[in-house]
Amino acid sequence: MAERKALVVDDEFHIVQVVAIKLRNNGFEVFTADNGSQAYQLACTHHPDIIVTDYQMPAMTGLELIEKLRKNPDTADTPVLLLTARGFAIDPQQKESLRVAACLSKPFSPREVLHCIEEVLAQRAGV
Amino acid sequence: MGMGLWGFLAVLSAAAGGISLFVSNPLITSAVWLAACPAVLGLGGVLRQLLKGLEDLERYLKNPDCVPVSKGTWSPSFWESLQKWSARQQTQAEETRQENSRLRLQLQLLERQRTWEQAVLDSIRDAVLVVNEDNQILFANPAARELLNPDAVPEHFSSLGTIETAAALREKIHRCRSGRIRHVRHELTLNVRGQQRIFEAVLSCLPESSPNSGGVVAVLHDISREREISQMKNEFVSHVSHELKTPLASINAYAEMLVDGEAQDADTIRQFCSIIQSQALRLNRLIEDILNISRIESGLVKVNRSNHSIALIVRDAVEMIRSYAQEKNIAIHAPAPILYDQACVDRDMISQAVINLLSNAVKYTPAGGSVTVGLEVDEAEGRLRVTVTDTGVGIPPEELGRVFEKFYRVQANNHMAKGTGLGLNLVKQIIETVHGGRVFVSSVVGQGSTFGFELPLALTGCAAASVGGSS
Repeated sequence: MAERKALVVDDEFHIVQVVAIKLRNNGFEVFTADNGSQAYQLACTHHPDIIVTDYQMPAMTGLELIEKLRKNPDTADTPVLLLTARGFAIDPQQKESLRVAACLSKPFSPREVLHCIEEVLAQRAGV
Repeated sequence: MGMGLWGFLAVLSAAAGGISLFVSNPLITSAVWLAACPAVLGLGGVLRQLLKGLEDLERYLKNPDCVPVSKGTWSPSFWESLQKWSARQQTQAEETRQENSRLRLQLQLLERQRTWEQAVLDSIRDAVLVVNEDNQILFANPAARELLNPDAVPEHFSSLGTIETAAALREKIHRCRSGRIRHVRHELTLNVRGQQRIFEAVLSCLPESSPNSGGVVAVLHDISREREISQMKNEFVSHVSHELKTPLASINAYAEMLVDGEAQDADTIRQFCSIIQSQALRLNRLIEDILNISRIESGLVKVNRSNHSIALIVRDAVEMIRSYAQEKNIAIHAPAPILYDQACVDRDMISQAVINLLSNAVKYTPAGGSVTVGLEVDEAEGRLRVTVTDTGVGIPPEELGRVFEKFYRVQANNHMAKGTGLGLNLVKQIIETVHGGRVFVSSVVGQGSTFGFELPLALTGCAAASVGGSS
């Protein structure tokens, strides 16, 4: 079975690192980015199976990144997990229309992130 | 009795007329004189008595307490009637005087009441407006006139229907009137001199028993500022929660990784522990900054003022930051000593402000750059000026005006370093709110920035300690 690929995006280096280590330790090939533009480029190049992105980032927010991904046929169906310190601020309609797979609030558990990723990927595999 | 007196006077007059006719004929005159002499003498007596009676009457009318002893010409019943009439007149006059006095007093009280009520209504900052059933303005206090139509001359300020800015208010008044509602609250947005202001309007129909049944009283309270503060508070809470959660998320995640055995060697374990420690310190700094700003803003901070050399404070701050600068290979140039640079300041606070400026400069300057600290004294102006100039990334012009705002971070430079967006706001609070100074910034993208502050020189005595803002 080919190694599953994940893209982790956050402007906080420590957050990117901890999620990346957790995923690598659990068999993922991980790409990292500290901003939305870089993440979009990596997504277009490497076609990750899943993207974990922070919501509040400078220049391009997590939601803006997802919007951009959805407009590109190559990345339109990539599932995205949103990490946020402001879970209450995300509009449920927007979440649905952008097909955000799950929202996890900070402070989050890397264990929970991994579990959530596995679930999303399993659902997609089932489909 | 009165008619008798007037009849007697008429006879007397006719007699006098006859006498004068006869006097014109000399023959008759002497005969008549002889014959009429006793009658004339008698008549003279009557006339004297009559004159005395009239004098008595005049005296009595002038002073009713002085009734003549000799009733003379007038019969006792005449005097009696006259006295009764006079007494009635006096009673009536007294009653009229008392009524006038009572009415004058009432008028004064009403006038005082009206003045007092007017003063109360005029001094209310809320707009108070009363309209009748046709929306004609019956009353508007100065705040209402100012709010609805400040430029209108009073005679044009008579109908709510003609006031363009009051359209929303008219609609609410109409609804209140239709429903005969008392004390209903609405939120209204009115355009006041080109600005949208938010008002809480309390409307109430006048009672049906009142003279202006169908009228409505409106009290408009401007809540724009409260709304603004509420929004700022929400944003503040939102920012704080985000800023607090970020280091907390790292602490939580790395601790869990350690518990789950995800750190597979000693170096990784040490690295995770180090991250947890640094993030805990970051959290603590953030909380301290928030508390310091909050204490300064609320005026609860204790300020220990005394005269200090600012050059010495700057020198100590430079020494504290030097190792951090060396790690990044950034040179720091400190100012030369100055003869007189005393300012009446809280040493720890000014030190904190200088350290914040220096650490910011180092943070946003690439390796190999430099930070130069300047200190100038303008004795003529009685001010000193501290500047921190870096060769860093610079700040776009459109963001310069916001860099001292709470939680504001220059987006383009976010990648350079982590920060809470509170450091520069704390500098501003310390310099401007506590010490009455001034902060400033200038920058060129790609070349660097200059942050600084001005403080008044200590030319006179220095208050030992104070609480809150500038003295």
